[in-house]
Amino acid sequence: MHEIGVLLEVVKSVERYALENDVKKIETLVLQIGELSSMIPKYMMKLYPAAVDGTILEGSELEIEVLSANGLCTDCKKVFRVLENHGICTVCGSKNFELLSGKEFYIKEIECY
Amino acid sequence: MSQFKILEIKQNVFDDNNRQAEILRKELKKNKTFLLNLMSSPGSGKTTTLVKTVNTLKDEMKIGVMEADIDSDVDARTISETGVKVIQLHTGGMCHLDADMTKQGLEALETDEIDCAILENVGNLVCPAEFDTGASKNAMILSVPEGDDKPLKYPLMFSIVDVLLINKIDVLDYFEFDLEACIEHAKRLNPNVKIITISAKTGEGIEEWADWLRNEVKKWNEN
Repeated sequence: MHEIGVLLEVVKSVERYALENDVKKIETLVLQIGELSSMIPKYMMKLYPAAVDGTILEGSELEIEVLSANGLCTDCKKVFRVLENHGICTVCGSKNFELLSGKEFYIKEIECY
Repeated sequence: MSQFKILEIKQNVFDDNNRQAEILRKELKKNKTFLLNLMSSPGSGKTTTLVKTVNTLKDEMKIGVMEADIDSDVDARTISETGVKVIQLHTGGMCHLDADMTKQGLEALETDEIDCAILENVGNLVCPAEFDTGASKNAMILSVPEGDDKPLKYPLMFSIVDVLLINKIDVLDYFEFDLEACIEHAKRLNPNVKIITISAKTGEGIEEWADWLRNEVKKWNEN
């Protein structure tokens, strides 16, 4: 149940943002989650109604955009999908790579009035 | 009704907490209070290690302990037997402490008087790693019965700590725990991590650990 604590943190940030920007009602919250972050979108969706209960986000929809984990091969300098290729470069077969993306966890935007 | 709009926030979820943690760390530095955030899974020997640590160091520095638990005050009572100041923090179901809760705990502990505050985080290898508490240094305990593969399973925790204590080393012979492999996995994630093998029960390694802590407290409170 790692997700609930993190969602409550999201709610806090959005509430502050809403207050500062004079937002009255939020229809949709969009999060961006990297494939390699420790959040599981399915659980986040499930817990969302409980996490936003009694807040400005109550009744809003949660949308999650999953960002893929991309690695830059340090040997042949090509970019490849890390997760589906088990960390092995699709071009030269090297296991040496630098992670370019996949650990993100962002509040992207809100659709609101 | 006002116009429907899309507001781009583009903010890292942990930004708020990270900011608060930075502020707290600066305050602690100014007040000459070292804060150690101690993390591990349940049953790894956090409280026993803490009792040994406190007993080793309490005559040379003022120590205060914050016990974070989802509920109960079992650990706080055990620690209070050492005679140092202890407060119990209840996270109310949350699996970790954030910078804000830590700040409240420190206020309750009245840190003006304290050289070294130790936060015993909630027993968990996942969530506490995500939330910076504002601590001066982060430590974790891995105990032998948990297995040498834990750095592979919980990489974030192993990559953020300054010191890794491998506890229950006295029972190494009874478990299939490859100490070398464990150290290698941990070092690969975190090349600078200090690793100390200890047994909170027999006292093995506690002196080395206490030396590390003593030295860090001194460095933090010096200037």
